[in-house]
Amino acid sequence: MIVARFPKPDFSSGYEYPDIVHPAPYEQLWNWIDIFLLVALMGVVAWAAHKKHSRAAIVGVSLFSLAYFGFYRSGCVCSVGSIQNVVLALTDSGYQLPLYVLLLFVLPIIFTMIFGRVFCAGVCPLGALQEIVNVRNFRMSRAVTSALSVIPWIYLAFTILYAATRSQFLICKFDPFIGIFRLGGDVGMIVFGVLLLLLSIFVGRPFCRFLCPYGALLSIFGSLSWKKVEVTRKECINCTLCHMACPVDAIRPPYANKVKEDRLAGVKRIVMYAVLLPVVTALCALLIGSGSDALSRAHKDVYLYDLIQQVEANPEMDIPLEVETFNGLGRNVEDLRTEVEAIQHDYKVYSYLIGALIGLVLSVKLIKLSTKRTRKTYEIDDANCLACGKCFNYCPQEIKKK
Amino acid sequence: MSEDLKKSPMDRRKFFRTCGAILAGGSVLGTVGAVASKLKVSGADVFWQIDPFTCTQCGRCETDCILPVSAVKCFHANKVCGYCDLCGGYYRPSVKDLNTAAENLMCPTGAITRKFVEEPYFEYTIDEDLCNGCGKCVKGCTSFGNGSLFLQVQQDLCLKCNECNIAKVCPADAIKRVSQDEAYMLKDHA
Amino acid sequence: MKQKIYRNIAIVTAIFMLVVAIMLGFSYYQMQKVSPLQTDVMETLKQMNESQSDNSELQQQIRELDLIARKAYFVQEHQLKTGTMILIGMAVALCICLNLYYKETKNLPEKDMDPIDDWMAKSKARKYIQWGAVGLMLAGVAYLVLSNVSLGSKDGSTPEEELLAEAGGDEAAVAAAGDSIAVEEVDSVQTADEASDSLPIPKLTYNAFRGNNSSASSAARNIPTSWDLKAKKNVLWQSAIPKHGYNSPVVNGRNVYLTGADNSARELYCFDVYTGELKWTAKADKISGSPSTMPKVNADTGLAASTVATNGKQVCAIFATGDVLCVDTEGKRLWAKNLGLPDNHYGYASSLLIYGNELIIQYQNNSNAKIMALNVANGNQMWSISPKDKIAWSSPIIATLGGKPALVVMGNPAVAAYNPSNGAELWRVDCMSGEVGSSPASSGGVVFAASEYAKCIAIDGASGETLWEVSDYLPECSSLAATSNLVFCATSYGMVCAYDAKTGEVKKEHDLSTPFYSSPVIVEGKVYLFSNSGKAYVFSASDFSLLNAFETGEKTFATPAFTDEMMIVRTDKSLYCVKKG
Repeated sequence: MIVARFPKPDFSSGYEYPDIVHPAPYEQLWNWIDIFLLVALMGVVAWAAHKKHSRAAIVGVSLFSLAYFGFYRSGCVCSVGSIQNVVLALTDSGYQLPLYVLLLFVLPIIFTMIFGRVFCAGVCPLGALQEIVNVRNFRMSRAVTSALSVIPWIYLAFTILYAATRSQFLICKFDPFIGIFRLGGDVGMIVFGVLLLLLSIFVGRPFCRFLCPYGALLSIFGSLSWKKVEVTRKECINCTLCHMACPVDAIRPPYANKVKEDRLAGVKRIVMYAVLLPVVTALCALLIGSGSDALSRAHKDVYLYDLIQQVEANPEMDIPLEVETFNGLGRNVEDLRTEVEAIQHDYKVYSYLIGALIGLVLSVKLIKLSTKRTRKTYEIDDANCLACGKCFNYCPQEIKKK
Repeated sequence: MSEDLKKSPMDRRKFFRTCGAILAGGSVLGTVGAVASKLKVSGADVFWQIDPFTCTQCGRCETDCILPVSAVKCFHANKVCGYCDLCGGYYRPSVKDLNTAAENLMCPTGAITRKFVEEPYFEYTIDEDLCNGCGKCVKGCTSFGNGSLFLQVQQDLCLKCNECNIAKVCPADAIKRVSQDEAYMLKDHA
Repeated sequence: MKQKIYRNIAIVTAIFMLVVAIMLGFSYYQMQKVSPLQTDVMETLKQMNESQSDNSELQQQIRELDLIARKAYFVQEHQLKTGTMILIGMAVALCICLNLYYKETKNLPEKDMDPIDDWMAKSKARKYIQWGAVGLMLAGVAYLVLSNVSLGSKDGSTPEEELLAEAGGDEAAVAAAGDSIAVEEVDSVQTADEASDSLPIPKLTYNAFRGNNSSASSAARNIPTSWDLKAKKNVLWQSAIPKHGYNSPVVNGRNVYLTGADNSARELYCFDVYTGELKWTAKADKISGSPSTMPKVNADTGLAASTVATNGKQVCAIFATGDVLCVDTEGKRLWAKNLGLPDNHYGYASSLLIYGNELIIQYQNNSNAKIMALNVANGNQMWSISPKDKIAWSSPIIATLGGKPALVVMGNPAVAAYNPSNGAELWRVDCMSGEVGSSPASSGGVVFAASEYAKCIAIDGASGETLWEVSDYLPECSSLAATSNLVFCATSYGMVCAYDAKTGEVKKEHDLSTPFYSSPVIVEGKVYLFSNSGKAYVFSASDFSLLNAFETGEKTFATPAFTDEMMIVRTDKSLYCVKKG
């Protein structure tokens, strides 16, 4: 492989080669420290949220996690991003999923199934950053926030598509805070991150609520968790303070279900959505499936093939570096085409899948929004509750206890 | 059955939730099982590294790393090169005077230094702090010399992004995930 | 009171942060834009310095600029770092102040809380989701429809456009064929008045392997039929060629072009046709994509087996690395590119041909066999086709078939004709097999092709119909030459013969017992042919009788080039010019 244009040197002066040692990569130990801290911090949050009912401990965890996972370990690999590694590992047999990345993905889910979203509370550096800067909540219309909570699912769907087709890690590409943790990186994303942070001074956790795909995943497990976070174990006096305090609007006020609507009409609506579910699912699948060729351009090889076609169609244009390198390496366009066809086939399959996923999410969301429920006291919506503990300091019953 | 219907809505909800919990738990276990069965989930970590034999020195390593100064550095395989006085990686192609003046050197940051050993051999050293990974010297070396200069990701600087920003734009697909024991792909051993 | 202080601190910090952020942004933008270490100014200055003879003032300037650039780089980097740190510190302060400011005013209901109508919110949310989903879907459908419509219209319009383009192209080609074939030998001679002495610029051109259009003939006159290298009889000059190569010389004006290569360099040479002086050397180096390792080639092929092509303005050369180099008549590089390393077990050997503004390259290698045309002015691809052919070492020719110029390419298994202006296939005859190294010839609208491992075939150029096939004597490396009556063939096992162009019958044969790699050329009613050992043979083109045969003393593999009263011969090591006197 090495060109020997000139003979290797032959020394007469007894010269010895210098001994060059290249610095070794970070110790693997750090990965295990990360995992240990992840478990420990989630444990602390669980203890603080369920047993101690203390916000201070959770803020402490947030600060620590921000400093350690965020600024010191500079964010990679995180649990949010690990979705992609897991998907990639499932589809690409050539990729070996490191055990600690799998643990990063699974451990928060397991904790969520037991204690609710304690990971989101302050262990996740992305959440911790927003938590720390948040000083006051200006409540957004519940209707708007419910509608916006569909976005993380769509984001998740496309993340899966791009990771499964080995194209890109969307979450990493559009991570707004990683640039802040590293004090450098893509300027556009840093600006976006700063804007999000400015927003999160007055609106609780915009990224977690309206973008985070891992949060969407955890919300399912959160709503099914074994132990629920409670504002207070004493009787609720319906004072509305906890509701005002919640940064993510996860506390539902008492509601006397006095809808004028006929009960039958309500049932009819739900039945309609249930019937429409397969239709919507199929429609979304069809739509995204038929756009798969356009989507596939995100893949490097498809893009390259496209460039080659462009150059061939328009010989006057400057030859892009990618095409030049392709030609220079003596790679074969026919081989590339077969490769591209295989990739596009993959895209087709996964596009149908994620289209169906999006349709399903939309339908389920609509069905959920069609149910009427009566509440006598303030109740925590476990899917959205991030266990941040802000309400503990507001509840008069809790304050009294102390 | 009729007894079930009589149960209060709260109980019914609880029942659904239990079912849901079992379902969700099952699906997680299923996913983990599928992942685990599809893979030898390796305890080893992965690192990013450049295959110096596919690298075309396009210059994107310098500009596309997320670090302010790229983690990609130039390495020199001492045993590969003939160390001629007129070195294609050290001097610009049409150099006039063989001295270290700015107009003669290939490296824009002056990161390559050399020490005379014996006629006609020199020993080249790269100051990794100054090197910005532009690959100009590597290009010169591969075009005119033995190719003893090559680009590598310096592992203690690399932040190990989940997806390498340079790999995404590398036109030669030279950047790969590697395991710890081949964290460097050196030309000395090839 | 305290609250006010906190508020004021917060406001001041926020304003400060804004200012610092703007400054940082500006500084960053500047750094991105100028990237102090690699300014164009610097590069231009360095290049100026390299092109000039010692200019210490300029060098001083470069050094100073370099120093300033480095200083600027580090200062800016430092600024950016400090700025970021200040910004973070302030952000922390701001957060603390805001927290303290709002500490006492918890999120208490300011007025009596509006009871949230849960059902209303849900209904609204449903509506938003429904409309949002419908909107997105419609947008998606619109995008799909639009992209399909644009595709459809493109498809719809192409056939007509193509027809028009083809018709136009053909008309032009016919018009061009009318005069260009008649006068082509004269019209493209370079007109630059470079001759310092009074010697005339030769009018005849010999622009490619085996002459213009690779026709295996030349209109040269007064070429000696005998010469003596040692005694310098009828030999005008003899010069050494710096690097070895099996390619043949071509002549345009006063310039003789040929290439040579070894593992260290690939070079294009220009010799003076009157003096044999090496006028310039153009190196095919620093071509992006060019392999750093030379491909493995057979010693019988080498790295420079392909003959160059010229049109009097540009000279193009190709090497076994896939590097194409185009220079002007002064040797100044116009463009160069790498076509991708040819996967060729002997080494790439097909010669170039220039047709109009197209540089035609028969790039048939093991993988990715292509025929392509590059714009000779800038190297951009004009067309490329990938016929279903395997590897071949043959070279393309331009023949006049049915009154129109056609590109005839001999591959494996097809001998095929293409429209040279767009690569459209005119006809294709699958008749070859094995390793095809020989090139076709054409006369009177008939294409002749022969290869050692297949047969000798005559194809009607207008219809693509096979006229006859024989396999008496077949060439391996040497190519055919044809008059309207006879087809000449030289084999690598020492037999040479003339086939009847109408029937394929062997009219005359000679057993010369010496291998031939060089190709016959028809000049002035005579056929010139060199054996590998360096024996020169001159035959009559009318009956193929042997007129003269003698040893030149130097091994010859290349085909000679002819111009006004001169013949240029490349031997294994040297180049010589045969001229009466």
